Amino acid sequence: MGSMKTARLLAALLVVGVSGFAAFWWLSRANPISASELPTRTPDLANGRYVFDAAGCASCHAVPGQPDRFRLGGGLSISTAFGTFHAPNISPDATDGIGKWTEADFVNAVMRGISPAGEHYFPAFPYASYQHAEINDIRDLYAFIRTLAPVTGRVRAHEVRFPFNIRRSVGIWKQLFMDGKPFTPDASHSARWNRGAYLVNSLGHCAECHSPRNALGGIIERQRFAGGPDPEGEGWVPNITQKGLADWSEDDIADFLESGITPSNDSAGGSMVRVIRNTSQLRPDDRTAMADYLKSLPPIEGPTRVRKSN
Amino acid sequence: MKRLMMVASGILLLAAASAAMAQQDIAVQQDNVMRQQAKYLYGVMLRMSRGRIPYDQAAVDEALVELEKSVGQIATVFGPNPNENVVNAEYGSSPKVWQNKADFESKIPPVLKTIGDFKGKIHDVASLTTAYTAINDSCNECHETYRLKLK
Repeated sequence: MGSMKTARLLAALLVVGVSGFAAFWWLSRANPISASELPTRTPDLANGRYVFDAAGCASCHAVPGQPDRFRLGGGLSISTAFGTFHAPNISPDATDGIGKWTEADFVNAVMRGISPAGEHYFPAFPYASYQHAEINDIRDLYAFIRTLAPVTGRVRAHEVRFPFNIRRSVGIWKQLFMDGKPFTPDASHSARWNRGAYLVNSLGHCAECHSPRNALGGIIERQRFAGGPDPEGEGWVPNITQKGLADWSEDDIADFLESGITPSNDSAGGSMVRVIRNTSQLRPDDRTAMADYLKSLPPIEGPTRVRKSN
Repeated sequence: MKRLMMVASGILLLAAASAAMAQQDIAVQQDNVMRQQAKYLYGVMLRMSRGRIPYDQAAVDEALVELEKSVGQIATVFGPNPNENVVNAEYGSSPKVWQNKADFESKIPPVLKTIGDFKGKIHDVASLTTAYTAINDSCNECHETYRLKLK
């Protein structure tokens, strides 16, 4: 009788285990866009170059320590609570870069966080923001990057701690923290505000650094844009809701995005220096649009800062 | 005996307070050097290049001289590590300044060279804008690694 009960219990556990694994496998699967969803079109290379700046590609993928923003051999190391990520080579080199990628491979990487082999990329690559981009912007970006010089040299593999290094589990992360929705203009706001919202929330991926994150590395939605500890470990990323920027005029924000200089004559530091190198390339009306949108963010209290000395 | 202990504690407290003050003084001194540069680079050159204040040749020439002087003081002023930031400051120095001292100091001569290259060569808003951009870019080479946003 006892062994019967044990057998039943084991059978029940097996069923639960298999069902659980099947659910995990199903939920964590990659969901790529197929090439047939990309109708033939002539790319706009000038727009591709503009998207390159708006999306801040050079910030992580340009070879560090040299001035050429279009030398996309990667190599920047990004230390986070989950491990150290090494930005890959995205130059058109066929062996070490993305020279063999199809347009669909590129769109899937940027907008879905899926590699050509169907694996999930780690969300240090800000595809949770890029998912909201206009698909034609990303197609133009692909065409533009293919015009750049190939750079040889493969970047070392990421060093991510267990269990975060299980790429399949990133599929669950995506279920939790990505809505898969394209950017939708808000008719109650002006065209300029909507353009700013698009740039800030998709290509500009501002919230990726300017928001606190939970233990799984997802943005804490109620505090989106409210700042927090620098994910790279040192310093503080400021609150860019009206809690932090109430004293800044729209012109102050637009000026800062061009020059990196604050209204009180301080200059940007850390990774924001790289961001300014990109935003300084944008059209003045786009910087103003971003400022317009940012000024509309209601004041939200950010996380409490723990004061640290050097 | 009790009085002696009180005096000794008082002296110790005063010593600790003055040491802390000295550290804060160092941090303030370092901040002041950078603010001096901001005053000329942003307060004069950037504002003038954008047409927010009228072009003034004497002010431009003075800005370059003062910038060169102030940037030349960075290595000395940033010699000691205050181990703290200026109280309530928005920005501060990364500990990397003192961890990678040689690299930090290696960023200074290129800034001085860029400033020197533009001496006597700025005559109008266009050449001022070119100079401002080049000098600011050379400053940012350092700010990216060694300047921290604190709040």
